[in-house]
Amino acid sequence: MPTFKLDGREIPFEKGDTIIRAAHRMGIDIPHYCWHPGLSVAANCRMCLVEIAPPPGQRPMQLDILEWDAEKHDYVVAKKPKLQPACQIAVAENMEVKSESSPEVEKARSQVQELLLLNHPVDCPICDQAGECRLQDYWLEHQGTKKRMRDEPVHKPKAVVFGPTIVYDAERCIVCTRCVRFSAEIAKDPVLDERQRGNLTEIVVSPGRLLDHDYTLMTEHVCPVGALTSSDFRFKARVWFLRSARTLCMGCATGCNAYLDYDPRTMTPHRHRPRENMAVNQYWMCDEGMLSYTRVTGDRLLEARIAGRPSTFEAALAEVKRLFAGVPKESIACVLSAQHSYESNFALVELASKFIGTTALFTSGKPKGKRDDILIHEDKNPNTLGVKKLAPSARPFDQLLEGLLTGTYTHVIALGTDLPGQPELLEAPLSRAAAIVTMASHDGPFVRRASVALPASTWAETEGTYINSRGMAQRSERAIDPKGESRPAWELVALVGRTLGYATEWKKLKAVRREMEPEASAPADRPVGA
Amino acid sequence: MEPIDQELEEGELELPSQPMSLNMGPSHPAMHGTVRIVMELSGETITKADVQIGYLHRGFEKMCERGNWTQVFPYVDRCNYASPMLNNVGFALAVEKLLGVTVPERCQYYRVVLGELARIADHLTSQGAMAMELGAFTPMLWFIKGREMIYDIMEEETGARLTHSFGRVGGMAKPPSDHFKPMVAQVLPRVLSILGEAEALLLQNRIFMDRLQGVGKISAADAIALGWTGPCLRATGVPYDVRKAHPYLVYDRLAFDIPVGQEGDNWDRFMVRIEEIRQSVRIIEQALEQMADQGPVNVDDPRIVLPPKDEVYSTIEGTIQHFKIVMEGIKVPAGEAYGYTEGCNGELGFYLVSDGSGTPYRVRIRPPCFAITAGLGGLVTGLMIPDVVPTFGSLNMIGGECDH
Repeated sequence: MPTFKLDGREIPFEKGDTIIRAAHRMGIDIPHYCWHPGLSVAANCRMCLVEIAPPPGQRPMQLDILEWDAEKHDYVVAKKPKLQPACQIAVAENMEVKSESSPEVEKARSQVQELLLLNHPVDCPICDQAGECRLQDYWLEHQGTKKRMRDEPVHKPKAVVFGPTIVYDAERCIVCTRCVRFSAEIAKDPVLDERQRGNLTEIVVSPGRLLDHDYTLMTEHVCPVGALTSSDFRFKARVWFLRSARTLCMGCATGCNAYLDYDPRTMTPHRHRPRENMAVNQYWMCDEGMLSYTRVTGDRLLEARIAGRPSTFEAALAEVKRLFAGVPKESIACVLSAQHSYESNFALVELASKFIGTTALFTSGKPKGKRDDILIHEDKNPNTLGVKKLAPSARPFDQLLEGLLTGTYTHVIALGTDLPGQPELLEAPLSRAAAIVTMASHDGPFVRRASVALPASTWAETEGTYINSRGMAQRSERAIDPKGESRPAWELVALVGRTLGYATEWKKLKAVRREMEPEASAPADRPVGA
Repeated sequence: MEPIDQELEEGELELPSQPMSLNMGPSHPAMHGTVRIVMELSGETITKADVQIGYLHRGFEKMCERGNWTQVFPYVDRCNYASPMLNNVGFALAVEKLLGVTVPERCQYYRVVLGELARIADHLTSQGAMAMELGAFTPMLWFIKGREMIYDIMEEETGARLTHSFGRVGGMAKPPSDHFKPMVAQVLPRVLSILGEAEALLLQNRIFMDRLQGVGKISAADAIALGWTGPCLRATGVPYDVRKAHPYLVYDRLAFDIPVGQEGDNWDRFMVRIEEIRQSVRIIEQALEQMADQGPVNVDDPRIVLPPKDEVYSTIEGTIQHFKIVMEGIKVPAGEAYGYTEGCNGELGFYLVSDGSGTPYRVRIRPPCFAITAGLGGLVTGLMIPDVVPTFGSLNMIGGECDH
């Protein structure tokens, strides 16, 4: 692989790389605002300026400048190297680039940073970006000087509502145009643009439009400063109090990699944001996925219920035992859920086929929905392929309803909250069942109809493996403690199994994983069988 | 009937006795600081003494690992609450060693003056307390009167009598006030005159002399073996003082003597401390003369020192600087350092490990009193119960330092 020199260090590069991209790949950060690995190059922030040595035999590029001479008390003519943006210059073999090692570059960064802060409002205490703001980081790393300008800064519009999810502050904006480029290039909806020039420039939404495509929160995510803020996260938490868990998005079968930011003191999730995975979602996530974390706390089933009335776990399990006493195994149906992890579904498949001995397996999950060509998959379940892999013979949910109506099945053990189909069509068949035991995280039609409902943890409260639409088994970490009485679904399955007198002895997730086929318990982010 | 021991000399009379266990402390008026001594007695003679610290354990070192570097200052204040300024400065110097920065000269003098004032206050307090524990209540009032004058200066300068939390990495919380120098200059002669009066009450006092002289003796070799430093070591005749042996701040520019004792008994320890007060006064007088009236106190580095408050409220640069230092802490480069100074009881060391973040990875204190208290048991063994009080008092154990 060809190499070039950055601050004396040999850096390999691929054809077509820019300096910043090659350095980024090696984990070297050249300071930048406007450059984003997933977006086109704008080269407007000037923070990544570097000094490039001239090719052999050529004169260096230099600029004539006037420099203040304190002794002469006058400006004198001087020269300085012409610096070039690392984000735009393509690397050539044996190119010599000076970044940190050039005093001119350090000076340029300090001056660029000073200019960017020239009209910046004193907003850190009320700005959501504080704590993860490039302006703050780079001031300390590259500037470290006090304000010299004595004039009133330029004032621009604040708290401009761009759409249902985004609020814009023009004074904080450094006009790097990341949001503009994201909307045009990734979301394919060029709804944002710049207006005015110089220090009056601001970002605007196209007249008559709102910023309302499916990826609006990403504009906030790519914003390196606090100009764009999410109305959902606005003023909710200070980022330095938050911890992050490496999770997956459960919104659809794409399985975007994400971070769930939560407050460890209150165990409250506050934000779901993309985690880079070039094989799945690259740098991006859709709005629905980023807001899907709210369901972790909303409308939960937090205690065991018998016929809709809250009860203790012990009483609920005793009720399960009573209901299932002497029931022939042919009448028992088990419902897997494409919303739940591979481990939980595995536990239920084991219980059904190995212990109870029934072949009546059905799958449930959310109905199909909207799709696009970017990230959003029409299958709204994160683990459809996982369920298919575990139980290839499992039948669709409709057939369970038919079986209930005809009386083939009288007893149901079900996982999951979400059911495909119209809720009113479920009423009649479900009311025909003699007993329904459901393990669900949220309130829903199944829970309301269930003889016994056991509270299951959501994805944020338990670790799990999910197989996405491309057949990649990925792991989602646990972020917060289980809410209320809820427990991981595989644990509930084990409890129900033991109550019914079977040897479902799994006490830990590890024990479940040991029994799973080795390839499905492969480490995160690796495709199954690859 | 004749008494059976009629023919025995009184001196040979030996009463049959069982060994007896006596528990002194942890809450006892003569045990300044919460410490417990479990003694085994033969009659009134101590045959075995088990000194138990830990009644003032707060997990100080562990607490330091959760805040940022600046947030350690209130904790070190409470390590030696009799002279918190010396601890403040000692910790600041250790962090500065790790950072590789030196504070401006004016600040170095300021630290010396405040530190020596704290040393005077500490010695006045501890020796006054010891006298009081021996029944000499009046001298204690004299000593405390002197101490309060110094505390008044501290209050003027720092806003707090006792727990100042005034040190900062890279400087001090505030520059010296305008009236700092005249204030100190006025107080010093008065403290010396009070000290003279208190001495007159004690040094000719037969009871006081008897209870101190020749009691609680330790040899220089034993003291060194125990790791003793400070006045207790110097009382045995070893002239080890960090200020002279490894000068820091501006101590090498100041003339002062190291008082030493000969016997290593309670009396020597008392007298060494009294003389140290006079030497501290000498140091302060010179330092005040050499200290500049104008000039920076804090290092000029935005990564270390907080900006002026008005800039924080009015400029974005000031806000960012404040934010970075307060929310993330001063980024101390990864590494380790041992910073040591002369505390009022001896060598006060801080062994610091940084992982490069704004939070200390490990703060280990080497408190002088820990080693000194370790010798207490051996010192009182063979003595009588009443000897525990002056011996313990002259060692001047500070419970807060023995936080191990």
